[in-house]
Amino acid sequence: MQFTQKSKEHIDACRFCWMCHHVCPIGNATGLERNTARARALGLSMVARDSIEYSDDIISNVYECSLCGGCMTDCVTGWDPVMFTKEARLGAALDGKLPDYVMKMLMNINEKGNIYGADKNENIPEINGGDILFFVGEDTRAKGCAKTAVELLKKADVKFTLLKDEPSSGYSMDFLIGAAAETKAVMENCARTLNNYKKVICYDPSDAKVMMREYKEWGIELKAEVVTFTAFVAELIEGGKLKIKKSDMVFTPQDSPLLARDLEETEPIRKALSACGEIREMLLNREHTMLAGNLIMNEYMPAVIRKVAENRWINAKNADTMILVTASPAEYLMLSETKPEGIDLMKLEEAITKCL
Amino acid sequence: MTDFLFDVIATELEDAVGRENCSTRTIDKLTHSVDYFWLSRMWADRGLRMPEGDFIVAPKDAKEVSAVLKIANYYKIPVTTWGAGGGTQGGAIPVCGGIVLDTKRMNKIYDVNTQGMYIECGTGAIYKHIEWAANEKGYATMHYPSSLTCSTVGGFLAHRGIGVSSTKYGKIDDMVLQMEVVLPNGDIIETSPAPKHAAGPDLNQIFIGSEGTLGVMTKAQMRIYEQPESRQFRGFLFHNMTDAFNAGRELLQKFKPSVMRLYDEAETASLIKKIVGVEKKGAFMNIAIEGVKEMADLEMKILLETFGKYGAEDLGSEYGEKWWKEKITFFYPGHMMDIPQCFGTMDTIAPYDKIEKIYWAMKEAIETNFPQAKFIAHFSHWYEWGCMIYDRFIVDGKDVPRDPHEAFRLHQAIWNCGVRTALANGGVVNDHHGVGIKLGRLMKEQYGPAMQVFEGIKKQLDPNGIMNPFKLGL
Ligand SMILES: Cc1cc2nc3c(=O)[nH]c(=O)nc-3n(C[C@H](O)[C@H](O)[C@H](O)COP(=O)(O)OP(=O)(O)OC[C@H]3O[C@@H](n4cnc5c(N)ncnc54)[C@H](O)[C@@H]3O)c2cc1C
Ligand code: SF4
Repeated sequence: MQFTQKSKEHIDACRFCWMCHHVCPIGNATGLERNTARARALGLSMVARDSIEYSDDIISNVYECSLCGGCMTDCVTGWDPVMFTKEARLGAALDGKLPDYVMKMLMNINEKGNIYGADKNENIPEINGGDILFFVGEDTRAKGCAKTAVELLKKADVKFTLLKDEPSSGYSMDFLIGAAAETKAVMENCARTLNNYKKVICYDPSDAKVMMREYKEWGIELKAEVVTFTAFVAELIEGGKLKIKKSDMVFTPQDSPLLARDLEETEPIRKALSACGEIREMLLNREHTMLAGNLIMNEYMPAVIRKVAENRWINAKNADTMILVTASPAEYLMLSETKPEGIDLMKLEEAITKCL
Repeated sequence: MTDFLFDVIATELEDAVGRENCSTRTIDKLTHSVDYFWLSRMWADRGLRMPEGDFIVAPKDAKEVSAVLKIANYYKIPVTTWGAGGGTQGGAIPVCGGIVLDTKRMNKIYDVNTQGMYIECGTGAIYKHIEWAANEKGYATMHYPSSLTCSTVGGFLAHRGIGVSSTKYGKIDDMVLQMEVVLPNGDIIETSPAPKHAAGPDLNQIFIGSEGTLGVMTKAQMRIYEQPESRQFRGFLFHNMTDAFNAGRELLQKFKPSVMRLYDEAETASLIKKIVGVEKKGAFMNIAIEGVKEMADLEMKILLETFGKYGAEDLGSEYGEKWWKEKITFFYPGHMMDIPQCFGTMDTIAPYDKIEKIYWAMKEAIETNFPQAKFIAHFSHWYEWGCMIYDRFIVDGKDVPRDPHEAFRLHQAIWNCGVRTALANGGVVNDHHGVGIKLGRLMKEQYGPAMQVFEGIKKQLDPNGIMNPFKLGL
């Protein structure tokens, strides 16, 4: 495994730094020392020194990170465990050492366009509505439902297109093997489709994240303007396209790390929800949010990801709120599987629809 | 150990804690072999592997801990308890191999009790997590060490840790009400339901500071406090340290600030200049006063009057506020001593009649015997009768021997010199980082025949000597 000089520096800075022990959703869920940025860095630093092999054992630890960026955000110095973890995944791919469960997901993406190997979701309609594309994303197509979101856009009189065959954005490839040529090829393919439209509304923050960040970083041409669903809907409310009646409901936003950290978007969900009712923040909000679920990791460490969601419910309950609201399909699925009594869960579009 | 016996023990441990919580994987063994002790970090930096545990187990509660300890006793395998590995004395390093018992699965917060003013939690909880739980209900733990985010409740108890607001709120040993402890033979006990009593010696204080040598603390009730209505800062610059000590002692006879930190001239000119921005020469002292606003205002008035008498320059509130904001920044890579430097924090404590003498004696001893070492210090955690010196030595990377064994020898020699000087002048082996493997040999020098009290307790509770061997000088 060959690390870049930049990665080596970050690994060496993090290997003896304990400061972000508390923010890792995975470490908090497992209680295991290896699920910390410092442990991962220590293992990789020993690999870089040829003191240990880049073995299955070390590699599987590299896949126990959700890349949520909690550690990086918490750090005052700018060292970046996400960066070297992604590089280590790429290294495992280049060395032909990917774990079987990763290989399986990659093959599924190749064959079916999603990590699950699931067939197309017939519940998502095809709509030919003009030069705005509503991009639903592979997780919702395989496992979720975008019906309320689609209805909401229609109610606001938005003319949009919904594709029958939506390409993969490249998010899951990027998560699994980082900046590999194969990832770039998937992204380029997606960009070609997106470029047929003026604007792309991204329902899933994970797709928005790669389109708005990685495409740019890797020089993939994207002519279409990409907006997140949250930002788009907040604008519809502000512009009076959705007429909201304020309710006495109390909402607590669960900030998706992808929106809040990678895209630095925290206010649209609050703008939308404050039009609908009262907002009550929970512990760890905005960029300091705690991940509440990851569907890719749920494929290979489901018990841990369940615990991640359960832990987030504890914060929501402690905030004494009525409804936890999320704009992330992955987090919604995990939170709904673990929902405790006495508190509700809604997607953003469901909360808004209740107040129309 | 034969492969067969290894498998027998592994399966028994898996049975005790669940297969997914018993590991023999390289990544687990490796990460539990390097803690915050300089030696383990230097060793790893040079690509060497520290002693590793054979089995890494993560029990979820006292019952599972009990099962593990029974297995360990039967097969006579060492057990090293690991909190978060944030200890600086090598206390959590499994120097004899065997079982590493990681407590972090015991991180449940059972009760935030605002009537009894405590949080009951598993000792594997990271302290910041219990601070969050207190904050969610409008309270605070007031235990703010720089390692708040990276050390466990059990780790702090085991090393008698301390936070920056200790002058008002006390050390960790003042903050605990009741504990659940698993004895080496697997018995689960509870200490007295209240920490102040006349029902015999204090069981809490036998296990607090015992560094995993007498059992495993599994649950604790830690105190919480109301958030202060007002927290006010004030920075001062003293002409010299003698004035500062006299001023500090006089202040402590009147009231207790929360933060009280005096930096020697060398640390004022280095760290304080870099992080807080104080450019002037002298000894910087930072004070925080907190509580009910009316009281805090009055205390501020007394502070200004008292320090004024000793010629302290009032630097206003800005530096103190900056220091409070940046108090943890000191500890991030790039701001802190780090490998390849060789360094250590030799904190000690003594009454006011000795503390300044200890400081000068340690400074002279280190600087004379090890001219390659820089010596800086601050004094935090003040009492009515004395205070703590947090003194550090730092040897630049270029002066650290290439051979790791020689580097270790240099490190040990500096420590011997510093701690022996402290002891000779009325100090103690350590104030709040504990003893571990690093200072075990010096315990006998401090305690002399009194050491037999500790040895007797150890022998009675842990006749097979399985609990954290060679730590604490036991
Ligand atoms: C960046 C940084 C800053 C620091 N600043 C401070 C500071 O301001 N104040 C301070 O006091 N310390 C400080 N420390 C030191 C460290 O935080 C303390 O020593 C702390 O007590 C270690 O706790 P841990 O959970 O990391 O324990 P570990 O290092 O895992 O273990 C320490 C010892 O405790 C024993 N132990 C752990 N848990 C238990 C248990 N449940 N039952 C019995 N024995 C147990 C272990 O066997 C070992 O001997 C700092 C450390 C770091 C990394
Ligand atoms: S990126 Fe997230 S999951 Fe990965 S180590 Fe950092 S905090 Fe943990």
